[in-house]
Amino acid sequence: MAAADSPSAALRRRDLCSRGIRLAGKMRADVVDLLDAYVEQQGLDASASVAAVEGVPLAAVERWDEQTGTQRLLENLAAYRAFRALLAQMLEEQQEQLGEADAGLGRALAALLLQVSAFAYHLEELLQLESRGIPGEEGDGPPPPPRLSLFEQKLRGLGVLRELAQWAVRSVRDLRQLAKPSPAPGAAPGLAESP
Amino acid sequence: DSHTQYERVGADVTMKCGSMDWDAAVTWTANGTDIDESHLNGSYLILKNVDLSQSGQYSCYEGSSWHLKYQTYLRVGTPPKEPVLMCRSNNYPKGFYCSWHLPTPTYIPNTFNISVIHGTKDMVCEKDAIPKNRCHIRYLQLFSTVKYKVTLTVTNALGKNFTTLTFDEFAIVKPDPPESVVAKPVPNNPRRLEVSWQNPSSWPDPESFPLKFFLRYRPLILDQWQHVELSDGTSHTITDAYAGKEYIIQVAAKDNDIGTWSDWSVAVHATPWTEEPKHLTTEAQITETTSTSTSSFMAPPTTKICDKGAVVGSGAMAVCWTAGLVVAAYSVLFI
Repeated sequence: MAAADSPSAALRRRDLCSRGIRLAGKMRADVVDLLDAYVEQQGLDASASVAAVEGVPLAAVERWDEQTGTQRLLENLAAYRAFRALLAQMLEEQQEQLGEADAGLGRALAALLLQVSAFAYHLEELLQLESRGIPGEEGDGPPPPPRLSLFEQKLRGLGVLRELAQWAVRSVRDLRQLAKPSPAPGAAPGLAESP
Repeated sequence: DSHTQYERVGADVTMKCGSMDWDAAVTWTANGTDIDESHLNGSYLILKNVDLSQSGQYSCYEGSSWHLKYQTYLRVGTPPKEPVLMCRSNNYPKGFYCSWHLPTPTYIPNTFNISVIHGTKDMVCEKDAIPKNRCHIRYLQLFSTVKYKVTLTVTNALGKNFTTLTFDEFAIVKPDPPESVVAKPVPNNPRRLEVSWQNPSSWPDPESFPLKFFLRYRPLILDQWQHVELSDGTSHTITDAYAGKEYIIQVAAKDNDIGTWSDWSVAVHATPWTEEPKHLTTEAQITETTSTSTSSFMAPPTTKICDKGAVVGSGAMAVCWTAGLVVAAYSVLFI
């Protein structure tokens, strides 16, 4: 990957990683604040366990330290694209249920959606730098799931925000790994192909 | 035939002399000392409301032959109270450890059993050789929202008890304190102290999982701490120290993104740089100094030729004035 190894590409990658780390850091802080407000306004129990919700990308990963740079970028991108759709859906549901009290929540959700979109775009830039094709988004995806009850919507919202908070932390870690100088080609994970 | 018998503190204990009849003539000993007959009911030994001091070896001998008929080791103790359990990750992201103890001793042997469940998955907590009341687990997954549930059961011959801890991956992350904290004065800077430290050696990958630090310092004579939070680097220069005062300094660490602050490091002491006090100079010394120096002989502002503490008595003022006049005279000569 000659392009990735050139000094200017390495600098650009490091720059994109630092900015990405800051974006992810801000995103996480905002998700945590939003989670508190969401739990309170939706009348939920903060300690409630939410079963894994269909369609919500799980941040949990095995052998995280063995992932290649490309794997990290691809998994992150897939996740944030999914969150973009999920948050848009939450916003829509929010607007349907709306009373005045929830207007702040709606605005916070919209702001978060913007950040998630920006981060997804940022990841695409990083992938382009690696001369990687950016995977296309799957059209409309699978058919929309059956309409949930209000309570189920709220619980799913909780699951989405919690998982997004985990992803934000994971993304910071992933970008730090990416920002490390590339080892010799063909060697350990970084941006080289996995052995 | 010898065995061990466990009884609760405060219990009433009856010991039979093996297969001997109730009305047989026997002698009981406790740790080799004969037990008074008042404690016997026939050939049975009755111990009421036992206490810890009554633990020991009890033996029963047939009256005339002194044949040993029965022997038991009595151990008086208590069933376990709810154990105290703590889990912590000081080596994130490798894994975490749990350690435990009993709030009060039982005085008899206890066994501890620990189970760790992550969601529906059972995990093995490998016991450490030292210390014995500790085990460690390697993370199989990172960034999971699923909580860990750790249950510790303690069992002894008199009962059992348990406690459970539930936590998520991020909450238990707490590094060890920073190591090798060093504080040094800065030459020619009476209000500065240079502090440096190292990442705790137990933190496996500070490059990928950087730590941030919290420094606190105060002069020994004051109770109030000054605090500084540092998001990177392992050194800091204090610039507002009180001149000449000895300081106490400590540093704590935290993962940049998750978990809680470490305990404070070992405290170090340091005093900012101070100018060496100049002693009274004689005429001869001044002559010698001025003949060898090329710059004009003017005392620097912070130097006192007449140090307040150096001269004593009613002649002090006169002595100081004299030295000052001599200096002034030579300064004029060399302008």
